Amino acid sequence: MSEQLFVTGIGVALPGADHRDAVLDPQVPEPVDPAARIGRKGLRYKDRATQLALVAAYEALRDAGLLSDPDDAKSHVAVDASSVAVIAASNYGNLDSVAATIDTIQQDRSTRLVSPINTPNLSSNVIASEAAIRYGLRGPNLTVCNGSTGGLDALRWAGSLLRAGRAEHVLVVAVEPDNDVVRSFAGTPRALDGAVAMVLGPARDEVDTKRPPQAVLSATQRAATIDDLLPRLGVDLTAVDGWYGPGGAAEHGLIGQVRPIELGHDWGTPSSVLGLLQCVHAAARFAAGATGTLLAVCGDPADGVYCGTLVEAPRQASRALTAAGHDAHR
Amino acid sequence: MVERWPIVGMGAICSLGSTARETFDALCAGRSGLAPIRGFTTDWYTSDSLFEIDDRDDSKDRPGRATGFLLSVIAEALTDAGLSDDLGDVPVLVGTGLRELRSVELWRGSGAAVTPAELHFGAAVRSRFGAWDTHTFSNACSASLYALSLATDLLSAGEADTVVVAGTDSITESMFGVADRVQSIPPDAVRPFDRERRGTILGEGAAAVVLRREPGTGGSPRGWVRGVEVNCDAHHPTAPEAGSIAGAMRAAHQRAGVTPADIDLVMLHGTGTIANDLGEALAMREVYGEDLARPVCTAMKSMTGHTSGASGLHSLITALQSMDAGRVVPVPTLEKPIDEMSGFRLAREQAVPVDARLAQINAFGFGGINAVTVVEGNR
Repeated sequence: MSEQLFVTGIGVALPGADHRDAVLDPQVPEPVDPAARIGRKGLRYKDRATQLALVAAYEALRDAGLLSDPDDAKSHVAVDASSVAVIAASNYGNLDSVAATIDTIQQDRSTRLVSPINTPNLSSNVIASEAAIRYGLRGPNLTVCNGSTGGLDALRWAGSLLRAGRAEHVLVVAVEPDNDVVRSFAGTPRALDGAVAMVLGPARDEVDTKRPPQAVLSATQRAATIDDLLPRLGVDLTAVDGWYGPGGAAEHGLIGQVRPIELGHDWGTPSSVLGLLQCVHAAARFAAGATGTLLAVCGDPADGVYCGTLVEAPRQASRALTAAGHDAHR
Repeated sequence: MVERWPIVGMGAICSLGSTARETFDALCAGRSGLAPIRGFTTDWYTSDSLFEIDDRDDSKDRPGRATGFLLSVIAEALTDAGLSDDLGDVPVLVGTGLRELRSVELWRGSGAAVTPAELHFGAAVRSRFGAWDTHTFSNACSASLYALSLATDLLSAGEADTVVVAGTDSITESMFGVADRVQSIPPDAVRPFDRERRGTILGEGAAAVVLRREPGTGGSPRGWVRGVEVNCDAHHPTAPEAGSIAGAMRAAHQRAGVTPADIDLVMLHGTGTIANDLGEALAMREVYGEDLARPVCTAMKSMTGHTSGASGLHSLITALQSMDAGRVVPVPTLEKPIDEMSGFRLAREQAVPVDARLAQINAFGFGGINAVTVVEGNR
């Protein structure tokens, strides 16, 4: 049983980085302008998180070669619509819409000034459903709101949908907006205000040499501590070339002899986007010529859980991955 | 051989009762949980009633109620299954429409202390049941059946022997507020499939089931999940699409290895909105065709209100109880069914005796996310 996931497309909508390789060497952060990236049409009344997610989703679907017209940011997929699933991950996505509605009601002491056009934004699944509508994705549609591990958790469910035959391609998009509500609620000076998307699907390198997978992921695992996580991943630490820590920085130091990798840029509080950002950072390193296997770990003490996956360079013998995942599944 | 997964425990709470048994007895009696609003400032709203759970001593609302409902139904389901309160590596999949957004509102509006870890349910489930493989899916009104589909996939793949699946929701003031704004004449009742239906009324509640790969050595299971299908209309942010809903029903039947003629009972989503009930009725006609008079159909939101992410599992548990007791719960608010439901056997004023073995459960959500499951009773 294969426990590997193949990354066939990547989309990036981050302040200072608008594509995969820019993640390694970001520009001075400027807020992402969704209208400049995918056109103004269809963005009206969408909240900030949805707009950012639509940008990253478009880039990832195009990168995976799934769109009927790759240059049209409103294009539907060219493959069977029911074979493409969407999984969105976000924790703070619609907090601004909910807070604005509450403010309106409290200030006017009535619902007279509440705008019905805002209704979809009050349900936290708005991101995944808008991505499905815009790009014509009729497979399973899931929204993961699972705290700091959300991005990597989304990858686990992508693997589950693929393995169960519920989808042939899964668009995973993680997004967190930055605004006063999020800063205050999350207690952070700045949230990420960006989105990262990946398409996971069948390995393409045998059928399409122009479009090899950009990274290969092991089955994600969860555990109460990082120490408990490693045996569950079945990881051979001597075969791991670096690891991404849960804080986005390397505050946990070495795991065994494995050195930490800095994301090298202050992205703001990434929340559920961190896991996908780690994977895309790894894929960018591979594209720049790096080889080997990297370990990505998300989680925080308040959530009380950690989630990890191994990210392997494409087209190399599965040194660490051969053992990974299998022991953990009974 | 079609796979089936035993349901070995269940728990439910809603405006009608604080356990699955209390809820079913109230449903059979045709009682309604609709009551004057308790959690919000009534002067600010046109509508005056909701299907709330009466768990507040004074009229002050407090954070964390959806989490409390969830912990209560998981505990009930574990007891029912004869399992301990220590879940360890058992996955807990929670479907919700509005997660703890009500807590965020109370933080925003009145400074209640709420942390980011309390926005999802993982930390609370871990603290109470020692589970760390916890997942919160915010999948609108089909959330708990979506979670059920993922659970059956985990069991099929051999990734777990036991999975807890739950749904929970409390009413958010923002969602209630926007409904109040849109409904210029507030509905006085939830009237699924009635010509005079005027929209839905929100409800609160939670439901949980314990699902296993193999039946345990204990007593006979409560029933079996035969198959769950999920899809997405990719059509409209709030309006349903009948063709896509019909597709989900057909695919669910195929997964379960049944045809419409095999289904004895249908738990309709039936929210009482113009759009849902019309789309659902058209999809039912398309799928059931000549067999439309075969199953008894009912819509329990007439008595519980729309329990959002919990509603799919509420219907599933009620279906299992109905097949066990041989009684289908009524739709007491239904007087004049819409033409699109003509020919279907809709339960009406009173609980109907039935000899049922297979039931279909519908759950559809905002964003056109559809989930349909077929379950088998234990008779």
